[in-house]
Amino acid sequence: MPTALVIDDSRAMRLILRRIVTQLGFEVHEAGNGREALELLETLDPMPQVALIDWNMPEMNGLEFVTAVRSQERFRRMTLMMVTTESEHGQIVRALAAGAHEYVIKPFTPEAIAEKLALLGLVPSGTMS
Amino acid sequence: MTTPTIDDLQAITEQVWLSYLDPEGITPFLPSEESPGMPCVLATVSVTGAWDGHVVMTFSQKASRLSASALLGMEEEEVSIDDIADAVGELVNVIGGNVKSLLPDGSLLSLPHVATIDEGVNKWPAAVEVCRLQGSWQNEPIAITVLTSKSSG
Repeated sequence: MPTALVIDDSRAMRLILRRIVTQLGFEVHEAGNGREALELLETLDPMPQVALIDWNMPEMNGLEFVTAVRSQERFRRMTLMMVTTESEHGQIVRALAAGAHEYVIKPFTPEAIAEKLALLGLVPSGTMS
Repeated sequence: MTTPTIDDLQAITEQVWLSYLDPEGITPFLPSEESPGMPCVLATVSVTGAWDGHVVMTFSQKASRLSASALLGMEEEEVSIDDIADAVGELVNVIGGNVKSLLPDGSLLSLPHVATIDEGVNKWPAAVEVCRLQGSWQNEPIAITVLTSKSSG
């Protein structure tokens, strides 16, 4: 079963994303911020196929997490998708330049998450439509 | 300078309700002219930088509990104060983030802050109201207010 890592400081948002990606066939791991996620990644084998990452989080934010992950060769196969309220063009460009592959702005629908994962080749297209 | 209007706030709120609290569209947020009365739970995010201000959501105790119940998929009686803080904090975070998208580039959004109000004290002496959407959800009052810091013009 493919695995996903959901990183968000809100338990409610982690739960919402967990429901969606579980429905799409993923086993889900959770972390409350970027630092926790990096620690969790040290224990996971195999590595998650995709991380869904909030931006504004305490301790280590999503952009810092993306930068940290992209600096390490062993994480290069992990797909990174920002899921955030940050919608400013410059912020989106920063996240993509740092190594994020996709960007979803909150609020989102389950279909929007499924479509983005399909664009990334992680689920068949039309899975939730 | 672009500032959010009550129509902006209503569109954002409708989208958030449809995404997270009422995906079937059965119990929408209903705007109202009536004051929602004394809030019990208050959730805020601050915007700083190119524009300085706050987005504030106020809930009755029951409305905050219903929100947590809907967001977390729990029975209402199982909801704890931590559940309420997490849920209403995320709601104001998403609404605040969408309000920020209407503001000039270069603004930063804070992490959410949630407080319960036992004494009825609810004041922002250094801010003025920009717009306010008030109404009810499942007959319980909720209001969303955008405030700008007096110094930000």
